[in-house]
Amino acid sequence: MAGIRIDSVTKSYGALTVLKAFSLDIADGEFVVLVGPSGCGKSTMLKILAGLEEASSGTIAIGERDVTDLAPGDRDIAMVFQNYALYPHLTVARNMGFGLKMRGTDAGEIDRRVNDAAKILGIDHLLERRPRALSGGQRQRVALGRAIVREPQAFLMDEPLSNLDAKLRVHTRAEISALHKRLRVTTIYVTHDQTEAMTMADRIVIMKDGVIQQIASPDAMFREPANLFVAGFIGSPGMNFLKAKAEAAGGGATAKLFGHDVRLPIANGGALAGREIVVGLRPEHIAAGPGQVSFTVSPRLIESLGSEQYVYVDLPEEHRREASSGGEDESRRTSLIARLINPEPRPPEATLTLSFDPARLHVFDAASGEAIR
Amino acid sequence: MKRKATRHALLYVGVALTCAILVFPIYWLVVTALSEPSQLRQLPPSFWPDKPRWGVFGQIMAERPILLWLGNSALAAIGAVTISMVVSVLAGYSLSRFRVRGGQSLGLFILTAKMLPATLLVIPLFGIFRNLELIGSLWSIILAHATLIIPFTTWMLKGYFDTIPRELEQAAMVDGCSPLGALVRVILPVSAPGLAATALYGFVLSWSDYAYARTFLTNAQGNWTANLGITTMKGEYISNWSDISAASILVALPILAIYLFLERYLVGGLTAGAEK
Repeated sequence: MAGIRIDSVTKSYGALTVLKAFSLDIADGEFVVLVGPSGCGKSTMLKILAGLEEASSGTIAIGERDVTDLAPGDRDIAMVFQNYALYPHLTVARNMGFGLKMRGTDAGEIDRRVNDAAKILGIDHLLERRPRALSGGQRQRVALGRAIVREPQAFLMDEPLSNLDAKLRVHTRAEISALHKRLRVTTIYVTHDQTEAMTMADRIVIMKDGVIQQIASPDAMFREPANLFVAGFIGSPGMNFLKAKAEAAGGGATAKLFGHDVRLPIANGGALAGREIVVGLRPEHIAAGPGQVSFTVSPRLIESLGSEQYVYVDLPEEHRREASSGGEDESRRTSLIARLINPEPRPPEATLTLSFDPARLHVFDAASGEAIR
Repeated sequence: MKRKATRHALLYVGVALTCAILVFPIYWLVVTALSEPSQLRQLPPSFWPDKPRWGVFGQIMAERPILLWLGNSALAAIGAVTISMVVSVLAGYSLSRFRVRGGQSLGLFILTAKMLPATLLVIPLFGIFRNLELIGSLWSIILAHATLIIPFTTWMLKGYFDTIPRELEQAAMVDGCSPLGALVRVILPVSAPGLAATALYGFVLSWSDYAYARTFLTNAQGNWTANLGITTMKGEYISNWSDISAASILVALPILAIYLFLERYLVGGLTAGAEK
């Protein structure tokens, strides 16, 4: 096992740069998740780490070794692919032992390690089967097993759960986390699913357009998102955004939200006076009934999940942001979602009083999108 | 219901007619081989000889070195297919996997070679083989057949490799294989149906050749292939069509056996390779 140091890695295809000065230090035994929307460069970074793609510039070190120019097989890493990439002509046992065989490991030792890994994953009864005779979940375990038997310095996982159905995905997610706790092998995991990132990671690296947006623990990223993109990406449903203007008030700053002058939870509010801002409010921080800041709405739609309700409300015109060029969902710009826990049953056409605590608000600069604290 | 039955009946009649048209020349070849030469020109023709000459096959094998010719044909086909497979596996894999400047144009350029008629290459190939002193040697037709086979098999295999996920060889490389090692240990075993289909295509092409053998091997009787040998059974004034037909059956049998034995495999391989 070893830590990984990625220093200013860039990847370009001609004029198109898909990865821009990516730098990251990963501690020995850490579970790091690269997350972001399609095309953000996360899989490219993983392939560069594996040696399957060449970096245009920058260096990568695994432990004390600079592996930037090493072939994939010489990096001492193991990879789990999105489609598992099991060798269809080999049995499960030979699939799992293939990497060890390539390294000239003694046949007896290969058998012992394959059997040990198969027992850990509960696939010891499948060892003589071919991949085509396995279910999706079993294939996924074999792919994990192939990585485990190698006892590598690091695991690289490229969206390994995306081909599983929802129930199995949740189950396997927990299994991978448990496996990591048991083996403590440095793991870099790529996904576009923020729930996977939040539940599995020691640290999340969130990316957009080839640029790291924020590196933080799941809780820190949820509590203190660095910018509008991170705030909108992390959390389900995503954060509500309201356009507003900051006003100076008694050394701090306020903004008019739903007709109320609401004090903003920022340190140096005076400097913000007169600036256009975006106020962020998480759906779960909105409560039913009166509170510190209350407002009455006519819900456009109420979705009930039993234990919780999603209430969709049209935002007042003055709080709607201009359409961005980033392909943002139009409904997120024009509506507000409240996530009400253990709600009272209510008819959808009834008006409803909602409230929030101003201390829960997030403030972002409208022009740059950066968080203001 | 009645309309459906009529449609089915029409379909079966159509299929039966097509089969009859396709099978009739083979049937007539057998009838000709088993008939006395004197019966061949009688009118009306006999659709089955009164006394089939079953001994004709043994007789022509005793009179002519048919087994030698068949052996030469097999050697030429195996040689041409071996060379073609080595070249087209590497070329097809490169075209499928590596992004090189002008790669697409290069691929199309290779395919244009297939569009040229085989006879167009006879004269330049003759010149080359004469300089290499290969005229009369089996090597001449092995190399000539390979030039015909390689362009098409390269494209067939490229199509097949395109259907195999890249992650498979990437996994092999992470497991410690070189790119060539990943090709040999993982991609080729997975491509077995495609390889079988392309190899059979090449084998049939080489086995059926007459033009190259006629040009390059005429003066070397010991190296005659079966197709070339059979033509020598045709005399200037008299031809024994019964014997020629019997020899043709003997030459067609090996390829027919291979087709029947591997038919499903072959069709499966061809369609799998053509999927993308």
